[in-house]
Amino acid sequence: MFQILLALADGEKHGYAILKEVARRTEDKVRLSAGTLYGNLARLEGAGLIAESDRRPEVVLDDERRRYYLLTEFGREVAVAEAERMEEALGQARAKKLFRKPKLA
Amino acid sequence: MAKQTLPFSQRLFRALVRVLPFDFRTNYEGEMEGVFREQQREVEERGGFMGALKLWKETIAGIFTTAPREHWQILKSDCGYAFRMMRKNPGFTAVAILTLALGIGANTAIFSVVHSVLLRPLPYPNGQQLIFIRQQETKLGNSDMSFSVKEIEDYRAQNRTLSGLVEYHAMSFTLFGHGDPERVRTGVVSANYFELFGVQPLLGRTFLPDDDKQGAPPVLLLSYEYWKNNFGSDPEIVGKTFEMNDKVHTVVGVLPPVPQYPNENDVYMATSACPFRSNKMHLEDRDMRMMEVFARLKPGVTVAQANADVSTIAAGLKAAYPKSYPDNVGFTSSATPLQKELTREARPTLLLLLAAAAFVLLIACANVANLTLARMAKRERELAVRSALGAGRSRILRQLLTESFLLAIVGGILGLVLASGSLELLTDFVGRLTPRAREIHIDSEVLLFTLAAALGTSIIFGTLSAIFSRANLTSSLKEGSSGGGSGRQQNRVRGALIVCQIAFSFMLLIGAGLMIRSLFKMQQVDAGIVPQRVLAMRTTFNWSIYTAADKTSLVAQKLLDRVKSEPGVLSAAISSRYPFEPEAITGGPESYSFQFQIEGLALEPGQAPPVSTFAAVSPDYFKTLGIPLKKGRLLAETDKDKAPYVALINEAAKRQFWPNEDAIGKRVSGDGGDHWITIVGIVGDVREFGLEHAPTAEFYASQAQNAQPATLIVRTISEPRSMAQALTRAVHDVDPQTAVTHILTLEQARYESMASPRVTASLLGIFAGLALMIATVGIGGIMALMVSQRVREIGIRIALGARPASILQMVLGQGMLLAVLGVGIGIVGAVALTGLVKSLLFEVPPTDVLTFSGVGLTLLAATALASYLPARRAAAVDPNIALRAD
Repeated sequence: MFQILLALADGEKHGYAILKEVARRTEDKVRLSAGTLYGNLARLEGAGLIAESDRRPEVVLDDERRRYYLLTEFGREVAVAEAERMEEALGQARAKKLFRKPKLA
Repeated sequence: MAKQTLPFSQRLFRALVRVLPFDFRTNYEGEMEGVFREQQREVEERGGFMGALKLWKETIAGIFTTAPREHWQILKSDCGYAFRMMRKNPGFTAVAILTLALGIGANTAIFSVVHSVLLRPLPYPNGQQLIFIRQQETKLGNSDMSFSVKEIEDYRAQNRTLSGLVEYHAMSFTLFGHGDPERVRTGVVSANYFELFGVQPLLGRTFLPDDDKQGAPPVLLLSYEYWKNNFGSDPEIVGKTFEMNDKVHTVVGVLPPVPQYPNENDVYMATSACPFRSNKMHLEDRDMRMMEVFARLKPGVTVAQANADVSTIAAGLKAAYPKSYPDNVGFTSSATPLQKELTREARPTLLLLLAAAAFVLLIACANVANLTLARMAKRERELAVRSALGAGRSRILRQLLTESFLLAIVGGILGLVLASGSLELLTDFVGRLTPRAREIHIDSEVLLFTLAAALGTSIIFGTLSAIFSRANLTSSLKEGSSGGGSGRQQNRVRGALIVCQIAFSFMLLIGAGLMIRSLFKMQQVDAGIVPQRVLAMRTTFNWSIYTAADKTSLVAQKLLDRVKSEPGVLSAAISSRYPFEPEAITGGPESYSFQFQIEGLALEPGQAPPVSTFAAVSPDYFKTLGIPLKKGRLLAETDKDKAPYVALINEAAKRQFWPNEDAIGKRVSGDGGDHWITIVGIVGDVREFGLEHAPTAEFYASQAQNAQPATLIVRTISEPRSMAQALTRAVHDVDPQTAVTHILTLEQARYESMASPRVTASLLGIFAGLALMIATVGIGGIMALMVSQRVREIGIRIALGARPASILQMVLGQGMLLAVLGVGIGIVGAVALTGLVKSLLFEVPPTDVLTFSGVGLTLLAATALASYLPARRAAAVDPNIALRAD
């Protein structure tokens, strides 16, 4: 779910684009299928985290059936909150020396 | 065209997607397909079979993990919504749940009986292999003539289809050595009886082949119940001894708690221990029959094969012993599955009750559907708004079904409680019809049935109401706020449901009415006796003391003299049986049949010999029971052992055997002419074997000339039961070893003899009453709703000058129209279903005009009553308020 929010963080996308982006970013570790993708989209939409976009790309590029999804204000807040929660958890894990500090660049 | 060119993978994908909820599909199906196509294209570009396989795996897994979650989501929200709706309409919810509980409860109760008695196999290993064999004299109408020892030996030796064959007969003996002398019900059985049924003893052993040999030391097996109730489940019981029939009997074992067929017994003994079965006459005389025979089929053998086998044996016997099986009696034998035999009597009654219960459930369904429809009228706008907001129709249907399912489940649980509460009563009732009644209980299959009934019910009434309300969904938003003004079509549906309810109620009421009418007829029928203030008590002399007939008649005479001297006794008699005696009712006339020849009357070849029933009575029998003498004389004290044999006959016998001549002075013989009995008198007919059976030919012989097991019959001045103790004392004054049992007034016996039709009538009556109540409440509710929907229209009519009386008439007329239609359909249905009740009726035709018109009028009156209140409300509508109300 978080992965989907992340995929929409830099702009609206249609379903297949979300699926591709998640796969690319996680190096194929998170693989969505048609069923799981739309199951999650439905729930996110129901919770008001994402919404359907009115805007359509130019007609030539657009496949009529495609719907574009965007992150709502609330969705963005949730994504940020979730990221912060993760960061905090990560920090605490590091403090307990659960794993190495990230190498300095 | 496009469909045909669609690649297989796309079609497969579409098929897979169908497991997702409808709404989800409408929303996302196209896109999902698009995504899937893109993924496929990508895989194809990269090439490789493994990639495609992986895609399919992920796709299928994805859909199957998503689907249950989506369905669950919908169910959760629907249930939550349904519960809120139920709480918001407590009146509707209560009525609907109660109606369903009654319908489902009635069905669960009756089904648990049908299931335990008719459907479930006998609770013995391979119970379907157990059969019952009977010998018949078809030309004499004797369908069960029982078996003699000789015959049992023949069947055992000659059959090819049976793996075992055992005999059974029930006796009542006095057991000494455990407190007071006690009468015990005793089953006398072959040594391999329990082995054949597959029953292992709880303690000790069952019988061994040696126990069956003549002169073997007598041994007893105790039934589980007798052991538990009378010996406190004594674990040391095996080896204890008791005295019975003047012999020491040793307990060798205790049976487990198994159902006992054909009767329940306290103890079992081997054949050699029964003083009757082991006397020379029974062992050697082929015609001394008193045993029943059970057998087990060899593996792979059908009942039909066994049936052919035993009838071949019967044919062989007939050829070998023509004297025992004369040509003219139509001797044969047959095999039937034991289960069928045990439930023969119960089957028609139980099926009738099952049908009645199903009717009640149908009426309940129609009623709840109607209630739901009525409520739907109020919810139409809510549903229309939801549908306008994008809820698909199937989504709304689904929600309505969830609501109805919840109602049905709660109703079902309540119904289950009602059913298990009524089970004891039902068991008691069914016990009169079949020995399997004790097995009645609610098991997992009954629970499954209840669940199925609830599910089916909710689908029926839920779909009914949903489908009929759908038509209005789209239109009702446009219609303004009059609350379901589109009701025309809906009202028609409601009307149809009411008509159904009335029709089904009519059929149920007819069933109940016919049973009640036939019960009344039965009660009014002249039994031929005066049963008031007569007490009957079985007096069993100790067999071993009174062996000779003269000794028995002597003690019987002493007994009668002593009882007659008791204050409060008007007259007393002793007899081998009496009218409505429970054993006689169960056994039927066949158990007392008397085959004879008439002096000077030769039978044509193949002609059946005359047969009648037979009782041995003392002279005052007729005076005590109030049976009138029609001609000749009664029996006298002088008709003793050494005097010429005499008998009385009833009028039925006179009509049957001597229709055109005087029967007095005629002689008959029951033993091929060795002894002749002279007919000295004719008495009135008595319905000996139950009020529903017309009197048949009967011979009353002198008790002093035919010593038989006896019942003391006493007519008293006051209430007869109050005399029971004094009379028992009087009997014991004469012989303290005589057991006095089965104390019953004749009125009680008469009442008991009608138990089965009475309980059937009351159960049907309860069902019909339920149906009538449900239907009437439903009609009232629907008429009220129709009126409230038409307030505006009625207001306009009144404003335009319609008189209140004509409004009243209009509403009443509508209700009555439905009732008349319902009754009309009900008449057709009832006439079509007469076969169900025909066999249970007594002197009432299944299309009895009185019942039909009575029930019809009752229903019309109920409908009129139910529509009257709404009609009055309609007539009282104030046009000013009605027109302003919008």
